[in-house]
Amino acid sequence: MSEIIKVEHLKKSFGQNVVLKDIDLTVNKGEVVTIIGSSGSGKSTLLRCINLLEKPDDGKIYYKNENVLEPNYNLPKYRTHLGMVFQQFNLFNNMNVLENCMTGQVTVLKKSREEAKQTALENLKKVGMERFIDAKPSQLSGGQKQRVAIGRALSMNPDVMLFDEPTSALDPEMVGEVLKTMKNLAHTGLTMVIVTHEMAFARDVSDRVIFMDKGVIAEEGTAEDIFVNPKEKRTKEFLHRILNSDNN
Amino acid sequence: MKKKLSILSLVLMLLLVSMPGLTMKVQAEETEQKEFRVGMEAGYAPFNWTQNTDENGAVPIQGDKSYAGGYDVEIAKIIAEKLGRELVIVKTEWDGLPPALQSGKIDAIIAGMSPTEERKKQIDFTDVYYESNLVMVIRADSDYADAKSLEDFSGAKVTAQLNTFHYTVINQIPGVQMQEAMDNFAAMRVALESGTIDGYVSERPEGVTAESVNPKLKMIEFSAADGFQTSPEDTAVAIGMRKGDPDVAAINEFLAGISKDERVKIMDEAIKNQPASDEDSGSPILKILKQNGMLFLRGTGMTMFLALAGTILGGIIGLLVGVYRTIPMSEKKGKRASQKLFGWLLNVYIEVFRGTPMIVQSAVIYYGTALLFGFDLNRTAAALFIVSINTGAYMSEIVRGGIFAVDKGQFEAAQALGMTHGQTMRKVVVPQVLRNILPATGNEFVINIKDTSVLSIISVTELFFQGKSAAGANYMFFQTYFIICVIYFVLTFSITRILRLVEKKLDGPEAYAPLAEEE
Ligand SMILES: Nc1ncnc2c1ncn2[C@@H]1O[C@H](COP(=O)(O)OP(=O)(O)O)[C@@H](O)[C@H]1O
Ligand SMILES: [Mg+2]
Repeated sequence: MSEIIKVEHLKKSFGQNVVLKDIDLTVNKGEVVTIIGSSGSGKSTLLRCINLLEKPDDGKIYYKNENVLEPNYNLPKYRTHLGMVFQQFNLFNNMNVLENCMTGQVTVLKKSREEAKQTALENLKKVGMERFIDAKPSQLSGGQKQRVAIGRALSMNPDVMLFDEPTSALDPEMVGEVLKTMKNLAHTGLTMVIVTHEMAFARDVSDRVIFMDKGVIAEEGTAEDIFVNPKEKRTKEFLHRILNSDNN
Repeated sequence: MKKKLSILSLVLMLLLVSMPGLTMKVQAEETEQKEFRVGMEAGYAPFNWTQNTDENGAVPIQGDKSYAGGYDVEIAKIIAEKLGRELVIVKTEWDGLPPALQSGKIDAIIAGMSPTEERKKQIDFTDVYYESNLVMVIRADSDYADAKSLEDFSGAKVTAQLNTFHYTVINQIPGVQMQEAMDNFAAMRVALESGTIDGYVSERPEGVTAESVNPKLKMIEFSAADGFQTSPEDTAVAIGMRKGDPDVAAINEFLAGISKDERVKIMDEAIKNQPASDEDSGSPILKILKQNGMLFLRGTGMTMFLALAGTILGGIIGLLVGVYRTIPMSEKKGKRASQKLFGWLLNVYIEVFRGTPMIVQSAVIYYGTALLFGFDLNRTAAALFIVSINTGAYMSEIVRGGIFAVDKGQFEAAQALGMTHGQTMRKVVVPQVLRNILPATGNEFVINIKDTSVLSIISVTELFFQGKSAAGANYMFFQTYFIICVIYFVLTFSITRILRLVEKKLDGPEAYAPLAEEE
């Protein structure tokens, strides 16, 4: 298996607040990695450090064995290899669905509009939004917006997709359509890193599950390791808490 | 004659006094020339006024399609001819006359101006070319209709125009009830008709006009012994020239050649010809529109041009400044320092232009460029510059708000796609900012339509300036300004409506009908 992303001794603080303490993480090609953990444990920060939306204080991040924290590393180009999906969708409100999926290709990848349109349409089909190409974000439901956002990230043809709680801002009836879309993607062999609170989904799609607690990776293993036979007390407590609250 | 002295002209004077060397420079540069450029308000009948045709010997006004007529114009014609130079009439705001003369924009002021001691410090005057006397204007049906001397006005409620010597002589009337001074003649005529006052002090030409325009009013003239005691400094008018201008001697000679009888004849002609004394043709509003329709239309055009172009240019300035301020600080030390300096300069620009009145900025920039750099700015260009730079300062803040209104998530999403800061701004943020600031920009546009009226200070022929010169000529202040007011309202009201429609259109429908399912 080939490594795409490798994180070593990653540290990040906001002022006095030490958010990531000493993170080591490897993501291999074709792998689906889910990150679980309670709110505030540093999951988002880890994801944002990986594509450098946050600047790490210390540690190393390798993309295909190149250190992306080198002073003259081409950051914008690096980011095109990582697709990011946000909790709040963050669609461009001035563009319709198709333009949302084309603008990155045209502006950053310098593709022709025709080529970009083809790619955008293909990916919108994958997320089931090809019938909405002329719609503005304000005309879509939350679930539709998130599927477009996934289509937008896919249109850049990234090596890895990063999802930061993609269903947390959705009304319950829309969670299903987004999870289904992601499940389909997982089956295509796409490399994915997913922060989520959807335990059933995580258990279903994950090759590997990472449990984070207070800025460290507390436990790591297969879905079975974590969900059926967790070793750490913290993991058990977390799962207990979240599964019970889910049943309410 | 006119002795109004506003704060603004004082400021300009100070500016001029503090730069005597520069004044000399401008002067020296234009010794040889064929034109005799005369500044006047073209709105102080019967001395000078604006009309639409060249009838009665009116002279074209520079840079405008109208003509100037009146006593001053006739005198100017005689002098220009004797000097062997071509007469050019430069329509100039009253307060702008001395600075225009000193900065070399005009060669002489022939504008019914009295040679006061104050003014003599700044400019030279020729000999007197008209001398007037003070009169009282009263209601024809009042007890004072037969008054002969000041004593007859004992107990009367009398006023005069603010900041004029007319007002200071009122206490020569024994037992008078001196009233608050008023801003203009229109107000005094209304007060007189309504009985709030019994009379106002004025000068003969204005009195003659008042009588002829409004038959309910009457002018009382006094014999030299029974009337107001005045100094020639107040009642005489002379031609203002730049300090040390060698032409003064020659002009004095020419003036001496115009006999007293001839002067009275010219003045009576002027009083007869002034627009106000046209035969009454029904409603005064219609009459004003007939006389000044084209003038108002051109003024409206100029106002709309300045407001629209100024708003667009100002919007672009605001956008550039607003976007510049979002650029993240550079990591490199040197670059960061220059970024900080430039950002600071932008803040100064915004604070200064937002913190000072546009009317003052206009005067400082327009006359300042001429004085400091000997550079004669085209008035329209200067006006456009001032409106744009002013709007730009306001728009910068509006744009800043418009950028804030674009949620941070979209910046991050663009960044995550690999866009640079510039690309993010161009593709994602600015288009949304444009939409966000549209209401505020429309508002600026409407404000500019109204606020360009202050540009009359540098004699830009916008709507208010045209209204002022029409009113100055026809003496129907209320009616004329009422028409101007209606035009402004129609402009701003329709613009506001149009903008609402555009906004609605831009926002599009709320719901989206998905495309049909493909096979
Ligand atoms: N931009 C920021 N500035 C300051 N503190 C932050 C910032 N982002 C996150 N934090 C803090 O870092 C901690 C971890 O946040 P986060 O990574 O969002 O956790 P999670 O995604 O696991 O809920 C929290 O205490 C949060 O308040
Ligand atoms: Mg989070």
